[in-house]
Amino acid sequence: MKDSELGRAFSDGDVIFREGEKGEMMYVIQSGKVKITKDTKSGEVTLATLTCGDIFGEMSLFDRMPRSATAVASGNATILSIDKKKLFTTISRDPTMVFKVLETMSRRIRLLDEELSRLKKTKEHLLRSCCDVEETCKMILQEARNTISAENGSVMFREDDNTLSIKAAYGSKSTQLMRLKVGEGIAGDVLSTGRSEMLNNVSTDGRYKKGSTKIISMLCAPLKCDNTVFGVINMSNTSERLFVLEDLRMLNSLAVYASIAIKNALNYAQLRVAADDVLKQAILVT
Amino acid sequence: MSMAFSVQRTHIPGECSQIAVIGGGPTGSFFSLFALRMAKMIGREISITIFDPKDFSKDGPGGCNRCGGIISELLVQTLAVEGINLPNSVVRKGINSYTLHTDYGSVFISTPSLERTIATVYRGGGPRGIIGHEKESFDNYLLSLAIEEGAVHQPMRIDSIERKHGKPVLFSKNGHIMEADLAVGAFGVNSTAGKMFASLGFGYSEPPTVNAAIAELHMPEEVIVERFGNSIHLFLLPDRGIKFAAMIPKGSYVTLCILGRKVDAHTVQNFLNKPVVRAVLPEALGYSVACSCLPKMNIGAPKKPFTDRIVMGGDAGSTRLFKDGLGAAYIMGKSIAKTVIFEGTSREDFQKGYYPVYRGIMHDNLFGRILYTVIDQYRSFKILTRAMLKTVEIEQKRDSDDRILSTILWDMFTGNERYRNVFMKSIRPKMHIDMWEGVFRSIGRR
Ligand SMILES: Cc1cc2nc3c(=O)[nH]c(=O)nc-3n(C[C@H](O)[C@H](O)[C@H](O)COP(=O)(O)OP(=O)(O)OC[C@H]3O[C@@H](n4cnc5c(N)ncnc54)[C@H](O)[C@@H]3O)c2cc1C
Repeated sequence: MKDSELGRAFSDGDVIFREGEKGEMMYVIQSGKVKITKDTKSGEVTLATLTCGDIFGEMSLFDRMPRSATAVASGNATILSIDKKKLFTTISRDPTMVFKVLETMSRRIRLLDEELSRLKKTKEHLLRSCCDVEETCKMILQEARNTISAENGSVMFREDDNTLSIKAAYGSKSTQLMRLKVGEGIAGDVLSTGRSEMLNNVSTDGRYKKGSTKIISMLCAPLKCDNTVFGVINMSNTSERLFVLEDLRMLNSLAVYASIAIKNALNYAQLRVAADDVLKQAILVT
Repeated sequence: MSMAFSVQRTHIPGECSQIAVIGGGPTGSFFSLFALRMAKMIGREISITIFDPKDFSKDGPGGCNRCGGIISELLVQTLAVEGINLPNSVVRKGINSYTLHTDYGSVFISTPSLERTIATVYRGGGPRGIIGHEKESFDNYLLSLAIEEGAVHQPMRIDSIERKHGKPVLFSKNGHIMEADLAVGAFGVNSTAGKMFASLGFGYSEPPTVNAAIAELHMPEEVIVERFGNSIHLFLLPDRGIKFAAMIPKGSYVTLCILGRKVDAHTVQNFLNKPVVRAVLPEALGYSVACSCLPKMNIGAPKKPFTDRIVMGGDAGSTRLFKDGLGAAYIMGKSIAKTVIFEGTSREDFQKGYYPVYRGIMHDNLFGRILYTVIDQYRSFKILTRAMLKTVEIEQKRDSDDRILSTILWDMFTGNERYRNVFMKSIRPKMHIDMWEGVFRSIGRR
């Protein structure tokens, strides 16, 4: 922590507060980044990545409910905490002090609205048309391409022999031909950890498995159902174009709906096989 | 003339559009920043011109609004909530503790989490010849925020003011400058501007002041890091005429601030020669006095800080006694802004919107005076000084919720709390039981 920094120092991964805890403080980021995450049925989802000057933890102070999400330092961060009692005393003397907090909250609601409407469209699209697994994967990729600009993309599934098979892809052929095992390469690692990743200097990453096309940047999000990771969505660039945190956030959100759509499609396929079997049996009997 | 204005309310939208601010220190900048923000919020156009001849980016006395440069915990946090996050480039050091020195020993008082909640800053470019111009002064930072929001800075001094047709008219020594719908006096106590406003005859008078001493002590940064860490060193000594002194670390300088009612040109040297001070800062460290000054300090408030279209705030009006003048500048600057934007600029508007805040500070200082009288006893009588040290020492080993005297001293000197609240804490029976325990223990130790 620099001598001129205010607040308290947190290291990468340090939890500032946890979902469900009582909220007694509000926080203002002085330097570094903080990830706001939430546990969902299909695993941890990053709701936002906040940076210097951003306020967080204010919701619990105002609605007196437990923390709705977990705040974790992403890299080294310094954070100034503001005690609830002192804050409310100051606000009671000068109510205009909440103008800035209201502005932050309004901005967040606006962003959520925008994201929600984008996701609603994607969700409707996915849920409406998908009964075929391969078709569903293609559609998911198309949706991902519409929101995130990337040169290559693929959807991979875990097979019974613990390898990853590509169900849909676009872009460079060599990235489509790559064969990976669970735990192998970046996608294989995301499949085993269940945590999404954004890498803007892929070649320096120890896990990277070289193909004939050199990948520079990569996004990879897990597809999960009931906390079991059954696949991944990859997006990558072979040019110098880099990804931003917003891209990762979008891919994470998309992965939640994609997981549901794929599971639906898989269930439907299984149901069809079962129904065909029943039908066959019935014909044989008659 | 004022009769005409007391009848004709001046909050007609759009009427108060030309605002002149005399003084671009914290009060002037806070007022401008908030007035412009609030005006935008309700879609009202105002134009603000800040007059101040100082260039706050300049090192040496020419750019400096001489003060200790401690931004209180409360102000750091309040500004952060307001979206004004003091950047690294402005903060010289983040402070997490105070070390209290007396003739009979020292104690360390820290924030519960050792979080750095207090900032030290320079009010100008720093002492003359300062190395490291990458840093910005607090006053320059605030002034640039006001300018970003839309204020115009005119680097000139206002030398006289008149009222024509009820409106304030400003002049420099070269002649007429502007006729304004409102003049905000934020000129502090270290210029003759107070006399200028007093001569308007609406009842304003210059606030009473005392001299304070400031010296910049230069030494290698490593020495400061090792000796001071992130702690402000406070001296409560049994000297008559000196309330307290503080050493405030800032990079490769330590600002020495001596406050009291009898401070003169010899005060700094006399202070540095005291054994307790030499124990903290021995001459062998090879420090040098880079500069020193005797600025005036506001210790009282004029009763009439406003009339129609004229209002005074910050040090030119009332401030917190011996602490957190910058916090008071924020409160008053913002309160004037709220009044002007949402109420109006007549005497009645200021009476209704601004005066309660102004009076609040004045009343709070009454509790401050009582507390300083008590502290005077503590620093003057050996047995009380020892008991105070012992109590704080015991408390620092306890849970943070169970440290009454430490909290009182912390709030008293950091500006974290209003004097009234500190006073209320000080009359809690637990505090007195602890103090008696301190008295007995300190007697026992002897
Ligand atoms: C020794 C000492 C130590 C202090 N330490 C601290 C501390 O550590 N923390 C704290 O919070 N407070 C401290 N204070 C108090 C603090 O300095 C003041 O409360 C604060 O500066 C008030 O701000 P202001 O804007 O009202 O006035 P000022 O800061 O005095 O600013 C007034 C401005 O008006 C300008 N001006 C004056 N006359 C004219 C004119 N005629 N035309 C145009 N411009 C003009 C001046 O150039 C100046 O820039 C201290 C004060 C003293 C004396």
